Amino acid sequence: MPVDFYWRMAMEGDQPSLRRKGIVSRGGFTPGAVGGLAPGLRNGKLDGYSHVDYLAEVAKATEASGFVGALLPSFPHTDDPWAAAAALARETSTYRFMIAFQPGFLHPVQAARMTASLQLATGGRTVYNVISGGGGPQQLWWGDKVEHDDRYVRTSEFLDVLRGVWYATDHSYDHEGRFYRVRGGGLPPALAGQPFPEVFFTGSSKAAIAAAGRHADYYLSWLEPLSSLTAKFEQVREHSAGIGRSPRFAVRLDVLARETEEEAWQEVERGWVRPGPAATPAYVGLGDSVGWQRGQDLGSGGNGSRGGYRALEISPNVWGGFHVLRAGPAFGLVGDYRQVAARLDELIALGAEAFVLGGVPHLEEAYRVGAHVLPLLRGAAVR
Amino acid sequence: MRPEFHLTLPVEDGASVFPALPGFVTDVRPGAAGPYERLARIGRAAELAGMGGVLAPFDPAGQDSLIVAGGLLRGSRHMRVAAEFHAGIATPVYAAKLSASLQRFSGDRLDWRLAVDLDPRVARSQGDFVEGAERYARAEEFLTVARGVWHEEDYGFAGRFYEVLGGGLLFPLSGRAFPRVQLSGTSADAMALSARHADLHVFGPEDDLDAAIAELGALAAQMGRSPAYGLRLPLLAREDDDEARRDALRLWLLRSGARETFPEPERATRLWHGFGRPGLVGSYENVAAAIRGYLDRGVSAFFLEVEPHLEETYRLGEHLLPLLAKEIHNAG
Repeated sequence: MPVDFYWRMAMEGDQPSLRRKGIVSRGGFTPGAVGGLAPGLRNGKLDGYSHVDYLAEVAKATEASGFVGALLPSFPHTDDPWAAAAALARETSTYRFMIAFQPGFLHPVQAARMTASLQLATGGRTVYNVISGGGGPQQLWWGDKVEHDDRYVRTSEFLDVLRGVWYATDHSYDHEGRFYRVRGGGLPPALAGQPFPEVFFTGSSKAAIAAAGRHADYYLSWLEPLSSLTAKFEQVREHSAGIGRSPRFAVRLDVLARETEEEAWQEVERGWVRPGPAATPAYVGLGDSVGWQRGQDLGSGGNGSRGGYRALEISPNVWGGFHVLRAGPAFGLVGDYRQVAARLDELIALGAEAFVLGGVPHLEEAYRVGAHVLPLLRGAAVR
Repeated sequence: MRPEFHLTLPVEDGASVFPALPGFVTDVRPGAAGPYERLARIGRAAELAGMGGVLAPFDPAGQDSLIVAGGLLRGSRHMRVAAEFHAGIATPVYAAKLSASLQRFSGDRLDWRLAVDLDPRVARSQGDFVEGAERYARAEEFLTVARGVWHEEDYGFAGRFYEVLGGGLLFPLSGRAFPRVQLSGTSADAMALSARHADLHVFGPEDDLDAAIAELGALAAQMGRSPAYGLRLPLLAREDDDEARRDALRLWLLRSGARETFPEPERATRLWHGFGRPGLVGSYENVAAAIRGYLDRGVSAFFLEVEPHLEETYRLGEHLLPLLAKEIHNAG
């Protein structure tokens, strides 16, 4: 069974390393600051480069390092994945753009049109990461007032309409739903006939799983302790069996891999003891996302105390403190190259058929993981 | 006002310009010779030819204008790229956010062309059931909300079509230039919307230009605004009038016109009615003179329609635009 390794695109900018928590020096997040890159300063003036120039380098590093592509995440203060994919389509040749988006912001007909255009531009390299979660004040920032559980119903209908338009010919698609109406829809010949993107579905509440079963090619989960991840996979399998589907699983996690285990933990420690706020507050606003809450609960612990970080290693190499060192979810792997590869093999044995790995900074760590970790993988046979 | 020349892109052309190779011949081109690549090359032609910009029209039969714009902005340094879309494609918040990234990536070179009037059948096929005057009411809200979240913090809006609470683009997406807004139409609703929102209002050569410009100018002045005026303009220019006429005839026959019904280009105005809408046919000098005529009437942006796109764009850059260099470079 082939396993797809995706990397992650640094849509939120990038830190120079995990040691510099909260310092987002790449991508114009501290414009004009000395040491900022893309844009940087040249003779005291902005050098004319922008975040997309850095993203292009990350994409090319990702492509060269053995990944099939990357997740382009979406947050209120970060650049838009569709815009980035459109910009970088022609600068890559094998890189798959896994575009994170929330149904409700875009009309499904427009999503179909944008996707088909991207498929033309990339030769079929578009992948979806459909997000329904988040909520509360956060959703109203987006101008979206649909309630949490209803959002999964909308997601289902959104994907129904998107597929309906995608495969319809001769303007034959009609739809009268709760959230969307279409009459005489369908992609024009100029856009029709291309492969429909694989769907990575995100969301771990009961409502999410109820909707995911029908539309997900992959069920994408943040890394959790293996026992809870196993339970979650079981829950999804159980529900999906009822409707005759057997979704595949994908795991999203960060990796901090070094030549020796000691070196890897030293990297953690240097960030951990560095004064300054944890990186997490920048991401408060993920609202009522259950997955986010699970990660925080499982990984909550001390901050700033020397050595305290090690208490967050809840099983060998599984560390729940990444959110302190960089914005984002808590869990990831810390260890030497062989250990990290072995833990990934265990996840494969658990049923993971795709991964979204990440590391800070995304550029150099893509090269590192591609050169030192991926070659050591042995697959499910290892157990 | 400095004249601008924009190329209208052929987003509707799905076919590759190259015929498919026989099955036994290895073809490694997928994507590389396709319609998207063709658009990229045409966009590059406009950039190299020194044109001010390109327009990716909203065309239900064609590629999506925002995706096309994203690629063309990345592939250029100077020209503006206008994406035409209708208000039903996304929430104004999302349209603003996506556009803020395009502005960051391109150094603020994105224009919005908002298509308001759509054939109701086309609109419904796009999942858009708003009709008639309601479309203008929605466009008004769409642009208001988009500007609101773009420029303000803790932005709130509760309207008939949209609702936002605690909105406003966040750093570093905030603080860029709002996309230049292009609108069109000559109805009272269109004029009223433009008076409030248009940076550039685009007319057709069939419109009563002088009256329309006067009307919109007066309306906008009441709001303390002064939009620029643009013109859609099909064009065919050659070394001399005879050659231009010959190629116009060729185009006419290619489009299944009969030789006997070929409409002769008008001697005085250089207008030709064979494009489907009025456009200019003539020598470079005469076409340039006709364009100067429009400049004198207050038009400053020209959305040129030429075919074949790539070849004609290079031609414009080398033969027509140099004749207007004085106007382009010395405008006050």
